[in-house]
Amino acid sequence: MLFNSLSFVLFLIIVLALYYSKLFNWTNKKRMLLLSSYVFYGMWNPPLVILLWISTVVDWTAGKRLAVEENQKKRKIWLLLSMLVNLGFLAFFKYGDFLLENFVTIMNSIGIDFQAQPMDIILPMGISFYTFQTMSYTIDMYKRKIKPARTFLDFALYVTFFPQLVAGPIVRAKDLITQFYEEKKATTNQFIWGLFLLTIGLFQKVVMADTLLADTSDAVFGSDKLLHGIDAWIGTIAFSGQIFFDFAGYSTCAIGIALMLGIILPDNFRYPYASLGFSDLWKRWHISLSSWLKDYLYIPLGGNRHGITRMYAALMLTMLLGGLWHGAAWTFLVWGGLHGTYLILERLQKRYLPFKITKWNGIFLAFITFSCVNITWVFFRARTFDTAWNMIKSMFYMQIEGEKILDTFTIIKVSVVIAMLFLCHWIMRNTSMKEVSLRTSPIVLGVVWAIMTFLIIIAQGSGEQFIYFQF
Amino acid sequence: MKLKLTLIVAIIITIITSIFWESYWRSQGFTQTLDDNEALWSVQRERVENATSDNMLLMGSSRVLFDIQLNEWETQTGIRPIQLATVGSSPLPIFHDIVNNTKFNGTILVGATPGLFFSTTNPEAQPWAWPQAKVDYFHNRTYAQQLNHLLSIPLQKSLVFMSDHQGVDGIKLKELINKIHVGNRVLDPMPPFHEFGEIEMDRNLKMKPITVTDTAYANSVIKVWQFFMEGAKNGPPPDKDATMAFFLKDLNTFKARGGNVLLLRCPSSGSVRMGEKMGLPRTDFWDDLVKQAKVPAYHFEDYDQFKNLTCPEESHLSHKDARFFTTELAKIMIKDKAITNKKTN
Repeated sequence: MLFNSLSFVLFLIIVLALYYSKLFNWTNKKRMLLLSSYVFYGMWNPPLVILLWISTVVDWTAGKRLAVEENQKKRKIWLLLSMLVNLGFLAFFKYGDFLLENFVTIMNSIGIDFQAQPMDIILPMGISFYTFQTMSYTIDMYKRKIKPARTFLDFALYVTFFPQLVAGPIVRAKDLITQFYEEKKATTNQFIWGLFLLTIGLFQKVVMADTLLADTSDAVFGSDKLLHGIDAWIGTIAFSGQIFFDFAGYSTCAIGIALMLGIILPDNFRYPYASLGFSDLWKRWHISLSSWLKDYLYIPLGGNRHGITRMYAALMLTMLLGGLWHGAAWTFLVWGGLHGTYLILERLQKRYLPFKITKWNGIFLAFITFSCVNITWVFFRARTFDTAWNMIKSMFYMQIEGEKILDTFTIIKVSVVIAMLFLCHWIMRNTSMKEVSLRTSPIVLGVVWAIMTFLIIIAQGSGEQFIYFQF
Repeated sequence: MKLKLTLIVAIIITIITSIFWESYWRSQGFTQTLDDNEALWSVQRERVENATSDNMLLMGSSRVLFDIQLNEWETQTGIRPIQLATVGSSPLPIFHDIVNNTKFNGTILVGATPGLFFSTTNPEAQPWAWPQAKVDYFHNRTYAQQLNHLLSIPLQKSLVFMSDHQGVDGIKLKELINKIHVGNRVLDPMPPFHEFGEIEMDRNLKMKPITVTDTAYANSVIKVWQFFMEGAKNGPPPDKDATMAFFLKDLNTFKARGGNVLLLRCPSSGSVRMGEKMGLPRTDFWDDLVKQAKVPAYHFEDYDQFKNLTCPEESHLSHKDARFFTTELAKIMIKDKAITNKKTN
């Protein structure tokens, strides 16, 4: 079910009505939320709910055993079982065809004539999100960082909680499960603020991403022609804006909906396009994934504890795997590799060419960071290396006879939207929406809210899927 | 935080602006319309799953949609057909789906608009990709999508601003923005295209009266057909061999399980008809199709009552003429015993 759909509006109204009715006690409310979450997921493809159940049962069992088991070997086996099941799902459903395709290529390249039919495996929506979330529980249990969930219901709800089930934020057990222990009820202000966040999220998705930017990026990246430099840049920055509004929109909706239930989810974006450098970027973009990768991959790989070379290797490996997490294609690996390279270069710069960031050079540095990020998006969005390479050639005027496919108004529209996005991120980078709203008159805030709602109503959209659902 | 006040202000302004928006478009002559999208098509496709040999399916392009009126057909034959024709489309992907993915063995009326029927079997080309997208949507649609469609119908029927029209008649935010043009960096040679049909829940489509009464309106549509015909001259030629082979293979499968197929060439007039005569001559295309298909076939030129029908925008019949065409066509087919009148049998 998509947040930007009529069925979700109906679903949310029913869930909220049941949640705030006096029909249920807290345990039954949690049962209702769990059932609703399965309905939310099953409305897309009912049989794939079974995967959720398997993940839930395996990690609940592993977690329970890890809580009482003292034998280190056995503890490791339980951890490995959990990882095997979760990563096995990911490997089969997400990377099955990719692995097979590359296996065939390798066989053929060494002279063995081997052909295989693509398996055409359906990718379960949000599998990368919920497997990472549930794995964090068993890993934390293994490291004895957290206590086991009190009941199976609490744990199942943690794995399946519908606002963040299919596209995050990826929430840690200690941040979410404990919230299920005591009855939760949003205060009036929390409920209204949650509704406000839901509106902002939908506005970002329906109006900004789908209405203003998606067509331009689709046209540019869908073109099989060598494009004019301006067209290539505009298509790229359009995608840059689209993916931000799309994904941040989803996260904002998720946080808002959870808040309407009295549950607090962590921020997933903090004005990332005004980042000052790439380590700053990863503290602001998809925070829940980057912190997951840091805690469960970068640090176990050695982090910065074993010298510079090992640190750079760990950094690069983390970013490469982070790239691959987004999709089973070599282009995603290049995207991750570029980010890894940026991070390494930044650390080298900080070591050998340090300089102070002032308010004067800050916006310039943010702009440079944003521009470099845009280059990486080319590999993220392009379906093939040929497309990506053509785009890069056009962007850097390595070929001059490119075709013009965008009209002048589209160029102006996208440029204005992205310039405003960048400036808005720059202005907001050290504050938050909550702080700004506290300084704003309630009537002005109401007018802004109404404008966003009205624009959502007249844009409507056609129920476009969120980009991150495919990851 | 005085969020209650904020919420109240937001609700009041949203209600006022939405009412204003709806009233404005009504004052501009816009009316409520259903969107002829994949979801609406899929509801009809779903009906085929339970259809019996008495049922009839309609396939083809927009000409079958405009020219065959379901009420008149039902009056004449006692059967309300299932309308599966789609605009700008070859009937082959949908025929292929019905033959290969259902057990239906009733009657299928296949409209053969020459420029589309014989166009291509290339899955990337529009005449194939559009209907195939509908077929794929039907097979892959989720429960959420079905519920969304169900919930959207009362809104589409009540609110003008829900209209999903595109181009000059589009009133959604994206369409309104797309109407803004600055400079001529990239020329869009496509003339403005007005919507000229109104669809109902069972996909019965009627031509808008304005197409008949307003010559300028009709001429704007004619310009679009001429634009497409010009484009076709520079595009790939019709792929008669591939399209015929594809169709005949499915046709034989369908006939073997007892299915009945009727071929229909709907009327066209003016420059469109002239273009069709020149680009896809009857003897080379339609007559050869009929000869090889060995099924009852109906070309409007062969019947006195249809010869003088004039299409207001040269490609589709007005609602009044479509009713006449449907009534007469059904009578002819019953007389030929190509179909039976279920009312009398």
